[in-house]
Amino acid sequence: MLKVSAVSKAFGAIRAVDGVSFHVAEGEIYGLLGPNGAGKTTTIYMVCGLLRPDAGEIIIQGKPFSANPGEAKRLMGVTPQDLALYEELTGRENLEFWGRIAGLKTADARQRAVELLEALALTDRANDAVKNYSGGMKRRINLGCALMHRPKLLLLDEPTVGIDPQARARILEFIAGLRAAGTAILYTTHYLEEAETLCQRIGIIDHGKVLAEGTLSQLQERLGEGLVFTVDADFGGTSPAQWDGFGARFRVLQQSEKQLVVAAVGQPDPADCLKALLALPIRLQNVSLKRPSLNDVFLQLTGRQLRE
Amino acid sequence: MPWLLNLALPIMITAVIGMVFGGGSGNDNSLGRIKFAVVDEDKSAFSDFLRGAANQGKAAQYLEPVFLEREEAERQLKDDKLSAILVMPPHFTSNYLTGQKVQLELVKNPAEQIHPAVLEELLGVVVSGLNAISRNFNSEFPAWRKVVEGEPDYHEIARLIDKTGDKLHAARDYLFPPLVTFTNMAEEAVPPPGASPTSSTPAPGAEGKPAQKFNLFAYLLVGLAGMFLLMLASQGMTDLHREMFKRTFERYNTLHDNLLPFVAGKALFTAVIVSLGAAIILAGGSWLFHFRWPRPLELGLLTLAYVCFATGLMAVTVAIMPDERRANALNNILSMILSMAGGCMFPPEQLPAAMREHISPLLPTYWFATAARELWWSGGSWFIPAAKLAALGALCLAGAAFLFKRRFEKGTR
Repeated sequence: MLKVSAVSKAFGAIRAVDGVSFHVAEGEIYGLLGPNGAGKTTTIYMVCGLLRPDAGEIIIQGKPFSANPGEAKRLMGVTPQDLALYEELTGRENLEFWGRIAGLKTADARQRAVELLEALALTDRANDAVKNYSGGMKRRINLGCALMHRPKLLLLDEPTVGIDPQARARILEFIAGLRAAGTAILYTTHYLEEAETLCQRIGIIDHGKVLAEGTLSQLQERLGEGLVFTVDADFGGTSPAQWDGFGARFRVLQQSEKQLVVAAVGQPDPADCLKALLALPIRLQNVSLKRPSLNDVFLQLTGRQLRE
Repeated sequence: MPWLLNLALPIMITAVIGMVFGGGSGNDNSLGRIKFAVVDEDKSAFSDFLRGAANQGKAAQYLEPVFLEREEAERQLKDDKLSAILVMPPHFTSNYLTGQKVQLELVKNPAEQIHPAVLEELLGVVVSGLNAISRNFNSEFPAWRKVVEGEPDYHEIARLIDKTGDKLHAARDYLFPPLVTFTNMAEEAVPPPGASPTSSTPAPGAEGKPAQKFNLFAYLLVGLAGMFLLMLASQGMTDLHREMFKRTFERYNTLHDNLLPFVAGKALFTAVIVSLGAAIILAGGSWLFHFRWPRPLELGLLTLAYVCFATGLMAVTVAIMPDERRANALNNILSMILSMAGGCMFPPEQLPAAMREHISPLLPTYWFATAARELWWSGGSWFIPAAKLAALGALCLAGAAFLFKRRFEKGTR
């Protein structure tokens, strides 16, 4: 449905996006995971035609975007990160207005607004002005406005930012339903949990580049067989390079003054790994074992936490 | 609130300027009668004659003399009830008739501009007349003095008039026709069929329409409307900045590649608001200041074209400026400059020659103000200025849509 090939965009000396490539199939949610400023929004803006790429190509349903931007835009729905609503209008009026702008007839827009209000659990507040909505309700209406014309490709730019967990769960459930209905979804987020639970494939983006891409398990495999240890200790001025045989058994993901995060190399027994860590010439305070998360993958790729 | 201010201000400014410079609208749609005091310290038959002359015929239509003692006149002048005081000093007539130097004293009200100036000019004409009489009829003055100062002898008066008539008859060939004349077209108009012989009918204008007397309020109102309609348009078009700030403009752009419909939609909204504003300013002004626009349909179409230009221009400035605050600042400055240089704020004739001849005629504000004023005076051509204004407005709108598109593509928000 969507293919992005080596797109780049610079603002002056800053390369916001640098040779990003990925594709999104029908019925798939592709997550672009990265910290703020990684280039996620710029990528979405180029895909939906708000920004013109400096290089690369964007193909929508087999046709270059630049060949017929109007046609390509009719296939897409975009939910911007910032709310793009008329707060003085009611939720229903916002939906109907954007439906009419998208080309629906008045009756169709009304009917579709009713469907979406129901699906988004907003029917009882449909006639209230949006300015009186909670943050989560505004986010849902913001999402609904992008869905009025039943787009085949949905671009969601951090649609759950700044809302409570309950409202977030409701939105994620709704998005999962859209995927099940066959909509291709490009989903940007900096929440690890969302990418892990919602997306079929994930691209990790930082400083404008996609550093790794794949399913969650493919990304986890980059860290070996899934053993990640966190060691809290007083290192006494020593470093892992000084410890005998440590480099052969463990790969350092992150090290700070009081903490070391390492992944086991190969397919060792977790108990052997623990024994080896307990035998290190340092004053240990705690050792914990966990399955690697996307944050660990990001840590390995960038040397810093996603939440930093 | 800004909308209301921009509607009320032109009417208020017109009222204030009109009151200061004109002294009231009056029922005859002119500057109003000039009220002044005559302090007659001469108390002679001649001063009685001058007093009477100011109260009769044409003079009575424009002048409203009141005859007061000096103290009372000065008190009323201080209270702004008079435009000026004319003092005829003691022995004015006898001194004049004996060929001595005489002086008339005019005390002007400093709070008024035009009325005292008109009186001063009139007094200058009277003084020139007195000088001319003194030079040409000096030989009859002793006889006239006897008549004026003594018991009136009607035989003697008749003889003097007859003698004066003979002199004028001899000089007829030198006096008539005068070297310089003027024709009041309004007075020479042919009455329409059925009109009473005494009815006053204005002369046909350039297109067969009646010409109007000058009306300061109408003159000012057209210019000020030109300026404040620009500011109203700015209020409307900066709404695009709010659309950008709220990201709704962006959302529209995710659905459509062509931004012109969005910009044109906002321009249409603004044009409706500004047109309503124009109707309030022009019609409200007409009602408040008791005058009628001579060709309302043509003025309306011309104003609509100007509204089109104003919205287009403001769309361009909004597309150029990065935010609403800066756009407002630029729009206000631009409106003032265009209005000043285009002759909206004061008559174009008062502008420096280089600007008047080379810059002003290129400005849309000038096209509007001049065409609207010509509609008042002579029914001059309004169509070409209106067409130019409408075309320029449409061009500006297309330009604004292009600038917005480029701005979005560059990522400037």
